[in-house]
Amino acid sequence: MDIAVLVKQSLDVQELRVDQDTGKIYIEDAPTKAGDIELNATEEAVRLKEKLGGKAIAIMLSTWGSSGKRQKEAREALTRVLAMGLDGAVLIMGEGAEKGDTYVIAKALAGEIRDKFRLVLAAEGSEDNFSGLLPARLAAELGWPYVAYATAIEVEGDYVKVTRSLEDFEEVVKVKLPAVISVTQEINKPRVPKLVEIVKAKKKPMDQKDFSPPVEPKLVIRELKVPKVERKQIVIEGDVEEAAEKLIQALKEEGVL
Amino acid sequence: MKVLAFSHSMDLALELISAGRELGDVSLLMTSDQEGRINEVKGAKEILLCKGMGSGDQEGLVELISGLADDYEIVLLASDRRGRELVGQVAHRLGGSSAVDVSSLSVEDGKLVVERMTFGGKAIAVEELGLPAVISVQKGKFKPPEEGEPSVREISAPSVERRIEIIERKEKPKVGVPLDKAEIVVAVGRGFRKKEDLKLAYELADVLGGVVGATRPLAADLKWMEEEVWIGISGVRIAPKLLIVVGASGQQQFAAGIMDSKVVVAVNTDSKAPIFEQADYGVVMDLYEFLPVLTRKLKEIKGG
Ligand SMILES: Cc1cc2nc3c(=O)[nH]c(=O)nc-3n(C[C@H](O)[C@H](O)[C@H](O)COP(=O)(O)OP(=O)(O)OC[C@H]3O[C@@H](n4cnc5c(N)ncnc54)[C@H](O)[C@@H]3O)c2cc1C
Repeated sequence: MDIAVLVKQSLDVQELRVDQDTGKIYIEDAPTKAGDIELNATEEAVRLKEKLGGKAIAIMLSTWGSSGKRQKEAREALTRVLAMGLDGAVLIMGEGAEKGDTYVIAKALAGEIRDKFRLVLAAEGSEDNFSGLLPARLAAELGWPYVAYATAIEVEGDYVKVTRSLEDFEEVVKVKLPAVISVTQEINKPRVPKLVEIVKAKKKPMDQKDFSPPVEPKLVIRELKVPKVERKQIVIEGDVEEAAEKLIQALKEEGVL
Repeated sequence: MKVLAFSHSMDLALELISAGRELGDVSLLMTSDQEGRINEVKGAKEILLCKGMGSGDQEGLVELISGLADDYEIVLLASDRRGRELVGQVAHRLGGSSAVDVSSLSVEDGKLVVERMTFGGKAIAVEELGLPAVISVQKGKFKPPEEGEPSVREISAPSVERRIEIIERKEKPKVGVPLDKAEIVVAVGRGFRKKEDLKLAYELADVLGGVVGATRPLAADLKWMEEEVWIGISGVRIAPKLLIVVGASGQQQFAAGIMDSKVVVAVNTDSKAPIFEQADYGVVMDLYEFLPVLTRKLKEIKGG
């Protein structure tokens, strides 16, 4: 059974610089990487494949532009997941992809997946935008069932058994394949590839394709604003006793005790 | 504008009515398991009661909502996990736009304009959505309306080919004071070495009359606490007047959940931890040494 893993090229939000005074967001300068939860999805795909046979392939549609820097980063991100044990990767990149909303991207990805895979694994949300919309839309586009927030997955013949935790319930569901499943960070601990695996990964097939928007987007980002959060950042000095006293004094002055 | 609203959680459904009323007339969809709370619904124009379907039936709901949505411009769902699971599916079925976890919404020139957090909380995106639009609304942003009796119309359940079967379902125990309503919160992170040590945080919260929240790894991964108490972009967003963050590094996804707190204190051994940039008062110390002393001194004041 062949598995597709959706790996987003995510902005590294920890490294993203924003200027609260000017409101500027330095997107171009921020590095991108394979999102953390995508590594969990990758790990799960590799485990399933090792058990069941078949291939597991990463699919990435790059939405942060197609400059030389972004190309290089995208390929590095894919090399990383290939080194974890995936068999190959498809990278879709090109002008206009950065304007593509989840409606457009789902349509574009469906063509790479329909007829080729029985199971699609994705992250519950991407690291930079965390909407979780794409796997749901992809499932709807393919006409496949969708189950989100998986914390355990088992394939049994034509079905996947998915354990998941919702706010009010713990659930185990049986889903008929083909299906789209999104996973949470808790599903596994992604393996850290060894150097030799990274070297080998560079020889694995990576198929780069040009993006051409199949439809017009339904959503436009009008503006990105920087929220103003002002913190005093006062460091309390002294030994334990002094520090506790100073802190209590400060909190009294703030009127919160 | 005609707005259709639905949430698995009746509490969140009531919030959706008030979010929807800013845009137009709201019809609230209710499922068989929610019928008992029908009298609590105020402010909606009508209730669409589907007695033939339970809220646990994901595929049925996608079908039902997508079918009903033809008569509406906007579908509002809640930003809990089950709500978010529906948004993309319903939006795509309608060929519509979508957004999740929106904090504000308005209609301008025939488009729905929403605001939502992005980049792990470092930015707010203002997005223009073509209609029909399917969105989920941030929890706790809108207060349930208090007035206006809705009419009730019974609707039938569509027939659906089922590919998802629930084979086990356990209800989770409810936690005490919800974190997003608490005035004082002590948030704990991986700086705690074992579950038993959390008592240091509970004792501090007790003397302050507050509640204890956590970072995601403590609740979701280590399972030292209920999942409802993890703070951040994928958990709860809190707005207490006092937040004391203990042994948490302050990674962006956590920090996004604490931005609306009034006063933030951080206790961490690492002076370079990002949490200190998010804090008003920073204590660079071992929590195992600092917390017992802080708690003792607070007890002394409160006691005398
Ligand atoms: C898409 C996505 C969504 C996420 N959503 C969330 C979310 O909603 N909420 C969330 O919390 N996380 C979330 N995460 C995870 C997040 O990135 C961090 O991994 C997590 O917040 C770190 O938790 P922590 O601070 O407890 O642990 P760590 O980062 O390990 O920090 C532990 C801290 O404790 C300090 N420490 C150690 N010992 C002591 C001591 N004795 N005394 C005092 N201090 C000590 C250390 O210096 C360190 O700073 C998400 C991640 C992703 C990718």
